[in-house]
Amino acid sequence: MTNTDNHIVRAFGDELSQLAAEVARMGGLAEAQVSDAVDCVARRDTTLAHQVIERDEKLDALQRDIEKRAIRLIALRQPKANDLRRAVAAMKLAHSLERTGDLARNIAKRSLVLADAAPMSPLTRSIERMGRLVTSRMKEVLDAYTGSDLEAALAVWRRDEEVDEHYNSLFRELLTYMMGDPRTISPCAHLLFVGKNLERIGDHATNVAEIIHYEMTGEDMIDARPKADALAPAPAGV
Amino acid sequence: MTLQPPPAVPFRRTWSAAWTGAVAVAVLLAMALADRADGRAVAAAVALVALVAAWQTVRAGQVRAMRLLPRGESGPERPPDPTASFAAAFELLPDPALVVTAAEPEDMASRRVEAANRAARELLRIPRQGALLVAAVRDPEVLEAVEESLFGAMARTAVWESGGVQERVWRVWTTPLASAPERRVLVVLHEETDVRRAERTRADFLANASHELRTPLASLSGFVETLRGHARDDPAVRQRFLAIMAGQAERMARLVDDLLSLSRAELNEHVPPVGAVDLRLAVADVVDALAPLASRRSVQLETELPAEPVLISGERDQVVQVVQNLVDNGLNYSAPGGRVCIELSPGLDAEAAGAAAHPGAARLSLLTPDREPGRRYAAVRVRDFGPGIEREHLPRLAERFYRVAGQKSGERPGTGLGLAIVRHIVNRHRGGLSVDSTPGDGSTFIAYFPQPDAVSG
Ligand SMILES: Nc1ncnc2c1ncn2[C@@H]1O[C@H](COP(=O)(O)OP(=O)(O)O)[C@@H](O)[C@H]1O
Ligand SMILES: [Mg+2]
Repeated sequence: MTNTDNHIVRAFGDELSQLAAEVARMGGLAEAQVSDAVDCVARRDTTLAHQVIERDEKLDALQRDIEKRAIRLIALRQPKANDLRRAVAAMKLAHSLERTGDLARNIAKRSLVLADAAPMSPLTRSIERMGRLVTSRMKEVLDAYTGSDLEAALAVWRRDEEVDEHYNSLFRELLTYMMGDPRTISPCAHLLFVGKNLERIGDHATNVAEIIHYEMTGEDMIDARPKADALAPAPAGV
Repeated sequence: MTLQPPPAVPFRRTWSAAWTGAVAVAVLLAMALADRADGRAVAAAVALVALVAAWQTVRAGQVRAMRLLPRGESGPERPPDPTASFAAAFELLPDPALVVTAAEPEDMASRRVEAANRAARELLRIPRQGALLVAAVRDPEVLEAVEESLFGAMARTAVWESGGVQERVWRVWTTPLASAPERRVLVVLHEETDVRRAERTRADFLANASHELRTPLASLSGFVETLRGHARDDPAVRQRFLAIMAGQAERMARLVDDLLSLSRAELNEHVPPVGAVDLRLAVADVVDALAPLASRRSVQLETELPAEPVLISGERDQVVQVVQNLVDNGLNYSAPGGRVCIELSPGLDAEAAGAAAHPGAARLSLLTPDREPGRRYAAVRVRDFGPGIEREHLPRLAERFYRVAGQKSGERPGTGLGLAIVRHIVNRHRGGLSVDSTPGDGSTFIAYFPQPDAVSG
């Protein structure tokens, strides 16, 4: 191999690892946005809420940047197989993380409205619990990405239904509240959306696990999600 | 072979004097700083900077010494290699420390971990030298501090929550080391989980204790009032009231006990227990302790234990408390004539340990340990055939004071703290907790604990 070839190969590898590094950085930011957004609700912290709303632009910018780099890399280098998948995966991941950020911003916005209403502490505890679960899923799946750990990504993917279970429970709890005291309907509706957003953030973590799977194996995860209904009666003989 | 005094020895002695001095200064500084509340960590950082600086000096000195000392001529009197001892010191520091290098400001991928000690490698799961910094830490605040030390030549600090179920908190120091030929910063982490947890636990304890004790206290004073007034001369009423009062006093005592257990379990949740416990013995203790309650409630207590010891990493009293709280619930929420089974299964992976015992039941993990590939767990399953728990209540079971409304409980109402205590203790043990339940058919609570490496299966 000549020196120039060598140089090109190395530079190409550098560009790919830059892309991966930017995705990881974006992931860190998205994680922080989600956990701060949950804190806004739990602690009724309006200053933090404004920060979360403002910082969302950074995620948007990072996503545009990653997309641009990935497209340039694909167009100029015409990578094959593995490398192409890494570039495509970076783009998909950036997209998923950007959506996650939007959901976090929406939670922060709702926390501003909630801060004006009377505190509902058992409910915010449930939101906090769900928030912790969702942030831990994000952390695990992003660790799996930076560590190229397929097994860890699959472990996150398999635990997909847990968030739904928390959401359903929160939904029942909110319903009981609203029926008991109609004055709480408006804040409860906001909390319901906060819960829904957390559930969707959890779905993005699952999505990230799927992208990691695609990046590392080249295959989509076609089998149905464990979500189907882990709680429904299992078929006989299982 | 004739021994020539190697010319490098004086050099080495000089250098060794220099770094001994540096370390001495650092240690003194560290001791002076250690008095302040946050001083310990600052001190650690100062000592480390001195250490790394001295290490680099020594490395330079050694290069010079090597030039003067041809290979193979080293004498037996040579003092130990200073670079090696610095490397060893850095390696063995209890606080995670790493050296990060960077080439270009705009390129995240050029931030690399040049060196990381054992504590850092374990905490941050750094796979190898030269790994990407973002693969170890993604937190924006920490990355920003590193940036400012790299390109702004400023020392910075940040707070970092490392995530994971133990919810540990760290203070992060970043200090510039060099700007040429490559930029280099020292990053030191010091755990602050203790302090933060202590604050929170104390606040929670006070708030909970005053709130929860208020009601029984008010009712006690109500009864005292009545006993002094109308009921003074009515022995029948007096007897009844005294019985109620005794019950209230007992409940208050139980509340205080449980709150203390909860605080204790919370306080050291991030400190893994030392020692090993045979789960079979823990179960046997609980069965002995709760046999009277079981017979009073006419509930049969059954066990299914393996013949071999089931060793787990843990603290005996706490493990006993976990099993006891679960069995206690099983007995309390069973109808008379029911039964409670305790079953042990060792050698499972985390997923199998927490898996539903009964197909068709609603299942939920109340605590999932951080992933540890290859780790084996031993599970305690406590099954009852009582009323079961509706699915929508499952996520809240381990919340402090949460009790499912409208449920009959045995002879004494609970405090709603039992499962919260269980969750904290199991988390301290790096284990997991899950529940599956079918309304009408009963519930199974599963606590699982990591087994020591030595025993596999
Ligand atoms: N084995 C069980 N069967 C039915 N319900 C249970 C069982 N264990 C716990 N629960 C429900 O969970 C709640 C919390 O349990 P716990 O924390 O032990 O508090 P306590 O037993 O003091 O009320 C209980 O109040 C009860 O409603
Ligand atoms: Mg109990």
